[in-house]
Amino acid sequence: MTSLTASAALSKGRGQLVHIRQHSLLTARLRLLLVIAGFTLVALAALLRLTYIGFVQPAPQTRSLAEALLPSRGEITDRNGAPLARAFPAYALWYNPKAMGDSGSPLVKSPEKVAARLKAIFPDLDEKQVAEQLAKGKAGYLRRRVLPEEANQVHEIGEVALELPQETDRYYPQGNMAAHVLGYVAADGHGRVGMEQVLDKVLTDPATRGTPQKLSIDMRVQGALEDELRRGMLMVDAVGAAGIVLDVDTGEVMALASLPEFDPNKIDAAGEKNMFNRVTNQVYELGSTFKPLSVAAAIDAGVVTDLSKRYQSRKPIAIGGFHIRDSHPMGDTLNVPEALIHSSNIVTAQIADELGPKRLKKTMADLGMNERPYIELPARGFPIWQKSDWGRLRGMTVSYGHGIAVTPLHLASAYAAMVNGGIWRPATLHKLGPGEAPRGRRVFKASTSARMNQLLRMIAVFGTGRNADAPGFRVGGKTGSAEKPGNGGYRHHTLVSTFAAAFPMDKPRYVVIAMLDEPKGTQASSYQRTAAWNAAPIVGRLVPRIGPMLGVKPDSSRDIDLSDLRPLVHGGE
Amino acid sequence: MTTARPYIPRAGEPSSARPKFPQNRKTMLKIWWREVDRVLLGLVLALMLIGSVAVAAASPASARRLSTSHTDLGDLYFFWYHLRWQFLAILVMLGVSMFPREWARRMSILLCAAMVLALFLVPFIGVEVNGAKRWLNFGIRFQPSEFLKPAFAIATAWILSWRMRDPNLPVIMISGALLTVVCAFMMMQPNLGDTILFVGCWLVMVMLAGLPMQGIVWLGGGGVALLATAYMFYDNARHRIDAFLGGGTAYDQVDLARRTLMAGGWTGSGLWLGIRKMSLPEAHTDYIFSVIGEEFGLLICGLVVLVYLAIVLRVLMRLFDEDDLFTILAASGLITLFGGQAFINILVNLQLFPSKGMTLPLVSYGGSSTIAQCFTIGLLLAVTRRNPFLSRAKFSLRGALEKRPAA
Repeated sequence: MTSLTASAALSKGRGQLVHIRQHSLLTARLRLLLVIAGFTLVALAALLRLTYIGFVQPAPQTRSLAEALLPSRGEITDRNGAPLARAFPAYALWYNPKAMGDSGSPLVKSPEKVAARLKAIFPDLDEKQVAEQLAKGKAGYLRRRVLPEEANQVHEIGEVALELPQETDRYYPQGNMAAHVLGYVAADGHGRVGMEQVLDKVLTDPATRGTPQKLSIDMRVQGALEDELRRGMLMVDAVGAAGIVLDVDTGEVMALASLPEFDPNKIDAAGEKNMFNRVTNQVYELGSTFKPLSVAAAIDAGVVTDLSKRYQSRKPIAIGGFHIRDSHPMGDTLNVPEALIHSSNIVTAQIADELGPKRLKKTMADLGMNERPYIELPARGFPIWQKSDWGRLRGMTVSYGHGIAVTPLHLASAYAAMVNGGIWRPATLHKLGPGEAPRGRRVFKASTSARMNQLLRMIAVFGTGRNADAPGFRVGGKTGSAEKPGNGGYRHHTLVSTFAAAFPMDKPRYVVIAMLDEPKGTQASSYQRTAAWNAAPIVGRLVPRIGPMLGVKPDSSRDIDLSDLRPLVHGGE
Repeated sequence: MTTARPYIPRAGEPSSARPKFPQNRKTMLKIWWREVDRVLLGLVLALMLIGSVAVAAASPASARRLSTSHTDLGDLYFFWYHLRWQFLAILVMLGVSMFPREWARRMSILLCAAMVLALFLVPFIGVEVNGAKRWLNFGIRFQPSEFLKPAFAIATAWILSWRMRDPNLPVIMISGALLTVVCAFMMMQPNLGDTILFVGCWLVMVMLAGLPMQGIVWLGGGGVALLATAYMFYDNARHRIDAFLGGGTAYDQVDLARRTLMAGGWTGSGLWLGIRKMSLPEAHTDYIFSVIGEEFGLLICGLVVLVYLAIVLRVLMRLFDEDDLFTILAASGLITLFGGQAFINILVNLQLFPSKGMTLPLVSYGGSSTIAQCFTIGLLLAVTRRNPFLSRAKFSLRGALEKRPAA
């Protein structure tokens, strides 16, 4: 400052300028720091916000173009490629009271008017309830599934609050068909009950969900089976029915039905009660259908070498305080074919006694009766099976299907092994290509199997299976009518009627099981409850429907050769 | 403190014989290359490259949105146009950066006057786009405000640096008057975003020019009061601020932008694989940052933020050892416009700022805006050119703080 006072006026002004310049530069430079700090803070805020978004948002989905083109969940088809379950984009009707964006009324018109308009579009709508929901102003679904045409009509109402979000949905184009095989997709997006649960990973994995999963089911056969089972069930007023069509050489399940069924398109409480699968999950004492298996075991073991050998059939067998009786008198003696044709417990028990419980148990175990059935479905019932050594009585009762309880699927696999030359194979719901069939294990000799084919055909021609003998289809099979166990013994009037069949017997290709749970005697069954009158006719009607689709054409000029057995039975030659 | 009088050039005094500019074009280029801020140039070109890719990513979304049954814009319609604009813009940037500082200043002052005149004309012969009258159409359509921004910064720096000649001039009042005129025109359009930019730019320059801290506080308070007034009497602003504070309605632009930005995760969905961007209006302009987020991921978003910060810091750091007040003011004003617009756009995309209708400079698609931004950068390069062989007084923070009380 001293310099300023000492200087001349001119230099005073100049000096001042210099100081102002230096001062200004210094101020500017210092305040540049503020600007820098400001920008750095803003950039820091942006970076922090980015980090926050990165950590808070849901896990990033890796998305590829291929994935974007895939369905949200893979398709399931039958063996011929007909779709059984598919993903499709659907609309839902969602009420969003905040859609208008202001604090006024969420609707332009009154809730009653809007509800009336909606009722005109959806005739089954509960108008009063919807009007209440609209008036309450609470967000929620008004309807889960809306067709595109209906969506347009909802748009025309002109209410902003009625939103139509697109949602991918699971659709079962065949409705109830094969519901137990397919299962359904729950609200969490994962499958339940059937193959939807089994294939859940494959159907949702982007790498695999592009290719439809082929099941072994043939949709046409499945439809026919369900149709005939339902008809048979209604005719005799049964509480339930089960049926299965199995390829004897590969173990592929061509059709599998459990009635009453549920609707996978609409899961409700009534449907959930019916999700129980009678074919794979419920075990039954299947009665006389076990007799051919026992006889086959005896023939295979060399115990029965002469089919014309006669066994006494008049006296009930008394053993361990228990009497083995027949349902009606069948004469003094019966040979083996006659015993099967008339379904004699007494004779079968004698044969089993000669075979011995140990060998019978081994055969039954070889047929898979001691473990859960082999199939992909998650719900599989465990048989009632005595693990410890069988006594004489146990052997005798098992031989005619009591004292052992298995699922209908167990029986189907065992019959397949009996008729296909003696090889047991696990059942599968996946379509198998040529050469993919499992090797299986030998249970019976081929000669035993050939003999059993003759005997099964004899039953259908001369015995209790006559109602199943569809002309030209060479059906063979065995009836079984077992009393259901109740409190303290068997209940004499509640039966499980089963018909286990195979066709064509000259070269068996398919096993068919039809089972009715608690059939009543009605006019349609000639007031009978036994399988010959209710289950066998189902097979008799079913086989002509499914045979041609499965490549078995009716041919009256072909049949299995019965000439050596026919003289052994009354009514034969 | 008796000191020898330093040499002070006087106005009007013929300058001593200066070395003439070389007339040879080749040596001119050589000198330009030596003097220009090459780091800044590199950063800007890198940013423009990011912009090309980003516009390529966003182009299908906007092209499909704007296609009609009669005219089908190709998916890359905006990308090809953007490349053309960028090419022109780079020419403008390099051309302007070759101007000597005085020429750049004079040209900008003239341009400022011309653009204020153009702004005056906008209400009468302007073209209305998207509900705002901001464009003039002389063969090509352009926004006078885009070109006014850099010119305004230079002109204000020039006015403020008058104080070096005569400390008694009320330079802050004069520049404030200029600002008021410009802002009045801007609010007539209406264009709140650019108004905020002009005010912010002016505030930074006035602050650097030595406005007392008390005055800054007063101005800050005035700004808040002004925003409050705008909120109460200015529909456009009120709606946008309301939407920002209230979260908006279900599917407004901000919400769509948020969904787009969050759709990609850290690494993004990949080029042209984004889905959300398809439902985003203005994907190629205002919300291109969100599109970058979806297709290239949050990490690249962070990189973009850092590139902008690097450009801003590069310019500001170099000003510390600058000893010409006009240069400091002009450069800081220009970079405030550029960086301010960039960060406002980014913050809007990140839902930290109300929606402003502002593009991301040098990245967003735009004809006149890309050229104007490159013009800004060109001016910046021109005013910050310096002879690398002249050493300057180094700035030390401690020295500055010690000297301050004495001065």
